[in-house]
Amino acid sequence: MKTCLVGSYPKIPAGSGPSVRTAIQRFEAGDISPRALHETYRDVTRRVLALAEAHAVDLTTDGQIRWNDLMDPLTRDVDNFRAAGLLRLFDNNFYYRHPVITGRLQFQGGTLAYWAREAVSLTSVPVMVALPGPYTVLALAEDQSYHHRDRLLADIVEVLRLEAESLVNTGVREVQWDEPGLATHSATPSLEEVASVYGDLTQNPPVPMSVALYWGSSSPWLRAFEGLTLNRLSVDVVHEPPLLRYFAEHGAPYPVGFGVLNAREVRLESVDELTRQLEPVIRRLGEDAVLVHPNSGLELLPPDRAEAKVALLGQLKVTLSGSPHSERGGN
Amino acid sequence: MMHKTLRTTSVGSFPKPESLQRMRVRYRRGDVSYEELKAAEREATERVIRLQERLGYDLLVHGEMERGDMVAYFAEHWQGFSESLPVRSYGNRYYRKPIVEGPVQGNPGLTVESWKLAQSFTQQPVKGMLTGPYTICDWSFNVHYPDRRALVLDLARVVHEEAKALEEAGAKFIQIDEPAISTRPEEIDLAIEAMGIVTEGLTAHTISHVCYGRFDLIYPALLDLPVTQLDLEAANGHFALLELLSRYPWPQDKELALGVVDVHSHRVESVDEVKAGIRRALELIPPERLYVDPDCGLKTRTWEEAEAKLTVIAEAVQQLRDEEGLS
Repeated sequence: MKTCLVGSYPKIPAGSGPSVRTAIQRFEAGDISPRALHETYRDVTRRVLALAEAHAVDLTTDGQIRWNDLMDPLTRDVDNFRAAGLLRLFDNNFYYRHPVITGRLQFQGGTLAYWAREAVSLTSVPVMVALPGPYTVLALAEDQSYHHRDRLLADIVEVLRLEAESLVNTGVREVQWDEPGLATHSATPSLEEVASVYGDLTQNPPVPMSVALYWGSSSPWLRAFEGLTLNRLSVDVVHEPPLLRYFAEHGAPYPVGFGVLNAREVRLESVDELTRQLEPVIRRLGEDAVLVHPNSGLELLPPDRAEAKVALLGQLKVTLSGSPHSERGGN
Repeated sequence: MMHKTLRTTSVGSFPKPESLQRMRVRYRRGDVSYEELKAAEREATERVIRLQERLGYDLLVHGEMERGDMVAYFAEHWQGFSESLPVRSYGNRYYRKPIVEGPVQGNPGLTVESWKLAQSFTQQPVKGMLTGPYTICDWSFNVHYPDRRALVLDLARVVHEEAKALEEAGAKFIQIDEPAISTRPEEIDLAIEAMGIVTEGLTAHTISHVCYGRFDLIYPALLDLPVTQLDLEAANGHFALLELLSRYPWPQDKELALGVVDVHSHRVESVDEVKAGIRRALELIPPERLYVDPDCGLKTRTWEEAEAKLTVIAEAVQQLRDEEGLS
């Protein structure tokens, strides 16, 4: 089996070391220069990537250290998609600048590709980018322009596709579409529509694509993704433990990512218990088709606990695979 | 003397003056004594009260100069909690998210001293400020209680004891903040049950502040929260809240405090736009049951921004009182 880190990571250190928080405070007080702030982001990104490397993680994001929230790259790269007031991000004590759609969406690009290129240059671990999927964008954005859901959805899919295309030649190995909007049922499209929308988004992918369902029920949506060419479908086992048995019994037409570590609780899971739970599904799907990860990004944890969860992922891999180093970049 | 209609208030926190921020850092390092820290807090609290008085505010807050975070403050002083390293909540704001590691137990009277101090500076009423049980649960990690319900109800009993202590000390207005109440709509009944425990038997005017969530998912159930006044953020959402409120008659036995300036924006709103928001609210709520205030606590703004926003509210309300003949 392989391990991956699927989203954001704390921007402050567990001990000493560079801190985005401190750097922003000092920058706003006029104590450091724009270059020093820029370099701090890079240093913290490097630390997150080094942590992944130290625990033999097979695929990782850059920790989204430069991102304010999940919507941030889109508000920078898409015209008429403007960051506005704070709203709670689903059921978390975390608040995002909700995007307001003020006109027809136009892709400009540039920011995410720059960030991705930087991350790839800082590590030997394969890097992926996690972006909000179309239904999560639809659930979290405020439409002040289209007033027509289907036309808006079609344009969202197209600009997301353009954003993915902008990552070609950056070295990014995978684009993961995050769909907490579906898992939490904030969006409730038909299965047929989800299959059709994701069919459009993922056909002839410019970079391999995956989907991550988290913070809610993954099972209602599984059928929608069955006929698609996905590099991985990630499901939230923390929220829905029976999924392990489901996949152990039914198999899957694509590699499956199992979100078995609770990215929102400090309690550390037991390696023995997780091993026992994962063995049947690994036997059924095969080692290469099972990825294990936290159920979402780790930024909602204090940095020491986030580090401990990454270390636990490493221990789990050793226990289940016998070696910390599986073949890199096999996705 | 409080006005009878269209009253002004504030939600809770104020920006800490730089001198106090420095003092807090030095105290954590052990460079200054507890008494020196308290003296700095006292000075800052008086400044908060004087500002609200000067602007003619009706119902005052003490500014929470002794608190870092609205949940962590209680966790630091109650039993059953440990403190985590900081966790980001938005932008560059972080808080030390408490970890519930044992049965929670309060420390009744914890907030009385700061309330008494603030009240000693003014004849205007000052709110006693508490954080509600649902929010404390939701903004903590729980590794002790078997489920959220058990923790919330235990916390409700602790918060009730604190509210009673404030009332016994003389507080006529007690605010129990529940910003997390819209987080899980399926738990709204639990939050209401918990607030019932908190406010049971209190004779003080009770208030609950709620912000930054999907009000549409918990409305009109929110009206069942057993408090006298609901204090809701509206400016951040461009007053879309009022459209939601218009769908149901506002209850005769409840007051509304409406957030009319965005506390997460550097921009200072114009008097006209604040007046426009209040006018829309007056179409739904009679002026004798309407308060206006900022969307939330002001601690993320600079002192100058906070003062400017409060000034705009005061001017907007005064103009409306004059224009509408309100006393």
